[in-house]
Amino acid sequence: MFKRQRGIVVLKLETFEVEVLDQLFDQMIALVEVEPMPVEDPLERLVGLNGPSIKPSDPALARLFPDAYHDDHEAAADFRRYTEHEMRNTKAMKARISQSQLHEWPGKRELTHDQAMAWLLSLNDMRLALGTRLDITDDREDRDEENAPGYEMYDWLTYLQGTLVDSLTKN
Amino acid sequence: MSIAPTELAESQTRTDRPWITLVWNDPINLMSYVTYVFQEYFGFDKNKAELLMLDVHEKGRAVVSSGSREEMERDVQAMHGYGLWATLQKDDQ
Repeated sequence: MFKRQRGIVVLKLETFEVEVLDQLFDQMIALVEVEPMPVEDPLERLVGLNGPSIKPSDPALARLFPDAYHDDHEAAADFRRYTEHEMRNTKAMKARISQSQLHEWPGKRELTHDQAMAWLLSLNDMRLALGTRLDITDDREDRDEENAPGYEMYDWLTYLQGTLVDSLTKN
Repeated sequence: MSIAPTELAESQTRTDRPWITLVWNDPINLMSYVTYVFQEYFGFDKNKAELLMLDVHEKGRAVVSSGSREEMERDVQAMHGYGLWATLQKDDQ
């Protein structure tokens, strides 16, 4: 869990938590990382014009990269072409940065503000992807018993992220 | 010739018309996280950020910023970066 100690965000992780997080980072990176695209027009590629224009069919990806326009499909497609490629790379890169520091745990380590922010975004991405897969709703009664291990992991990530937000906002 | 000014005026109205960024409710993002994002990105004080977050939560969506289309596209992209579900549109009112 995350804590704030003398104004600094501290992350304490047990061995099994490090292992689970390592696997979750792997999955996140595999999910968002962009497949190398066939080179069409090098200039278009250079200015980032040849990104995808259709919302991803995988619901978890569609949640991570939603349409920017509600009822203007053409504008939404244009926006996606300009941004999705970069957004995917950014999310993968942030996950890699946090993952590459995992070897410093188990134990208790202080985080810089930038590191804490990278954790905050990575944990949120994981919850969005997993939560979408689990069809999370506001009502816990909707939970399907068969997915109990998935919900357990989701609840743990929620707890972890909650302690991080508290650590960042507490005075 | 006489068409030109009209066209100009029309396109000007279109550009001047404000655009807005909407954030939509979702069951995954933590209320405390959404509040924190509003404070961090928009620089709102905690009170305003919390009121906006509650608006999103209770009414299903809230307007979080307004300005030019380019500015709103920037805000929407930033919100997506944080994992919030945001869209932009022309202000209807």
